[in-house]
Amino acid sequence: MIPDLRRHLLEALVIVALGAVIGLSVNYRLIGALLEGRLAPPAPMPTSDGYPTPITLGQLREALAAGEVVAVDARDADSYAEGHLPGALSLPLEEAEARLEAFSLRVDPATALAVYCNGYGCPDSFDLAMKLIAAGYGSVAVFEGGLPEWRDAGLVVVEGAP
Amino acid sequence: MNRLRPVVYHLCRLTLGGLFVYAGAVKADDVTAFAGSIAAYEILPYFGNYLVAATLPYIEILAGLLLLANRRVRPAALLLAGLTLVFMAVLLSVIARGLEIDCGCFGADGRTTPAMALLRDAGILVLAHFTFHLRAPRP
Repeated sequence: MIPDLRRHLLEALVIVALGAVIGLSVNYRLIGALLEGRLAPPAPMPTSDGYPTPITLGQLREALAAGEVVAVDARDADSYAEGHLPGALSLPLEEAEARLEAFSLRVDPATALAVYCNGYGCPDSFDLAMKLIAAGYGSVAVFEGGLPEWRDAGLVVVEGAP
Repeated sequence: MNRLRPVVYHLCRLTLGGLFVYAGAVKADDVTAFAGSIAAYEILPYFGNYLVAATLPYIEILAGLLLLANRRVRPAALLLAGLTLVFMAVLLSVIARGLEIDCGCFGADGRTTPAMALLRDAGILVLAHFTFHLRAPRP
């Protein structure tokens, strides 16, 4: 048994706590924005790295209202028909391969997209976003809260088939 | 061997410390990009991604600086080994899920596959092991 292991572990925890406090203090603005549900405008950086950017409910709402972004629903057609974000296009992940070509003819690759599915724990929006980036879309965001967060915020949910 | 021991110890300590100060500084410099890298792992929710991105770099820097300063070496080495084990578990889950993402270990621009990062982490564990065990007992 290593002598003083307990003390070392405790001191390691103190280092973690100190580091966390420093990190939170240095990034207090970011954390503040996070707590208020708004973060700096979606940076195109992760997208240019080949990854989608996260987008918050607040950002998505503003961007949709301003017409800056088009929502893309990654769920199947039935779920879409039961309820989707206003103006959302339906592109189910499992049909993405087959429909991506038609989709890109309809939606200009310069269009900023925000992909969503059934909220946290649903990876389809991320997977679809990666396919869209691979298909040449330059600005793709993932709304991780998905339809549940949108609906729970009391925002308009539209019914109807694609 | 006894004459070599302090040399190996300081070499491991300085390498480990420098590595984590560098890794932390690169990520602390662009928290949003790091949050994007963490999000790519698809493990934490949106909120957690930003929280880890804001704090982890500073924990790495702090532990690295302690190693460089030769202070609280064992707790710092223990902490970095623990972190590295967590990273390895996360990388294994990435490989198991077949995600093709960049590790993000040293910021977003490095192109390191999960398998390469896993190997590197194994090396870091060796460094942490020697740093911890070769540390001379307190006088």
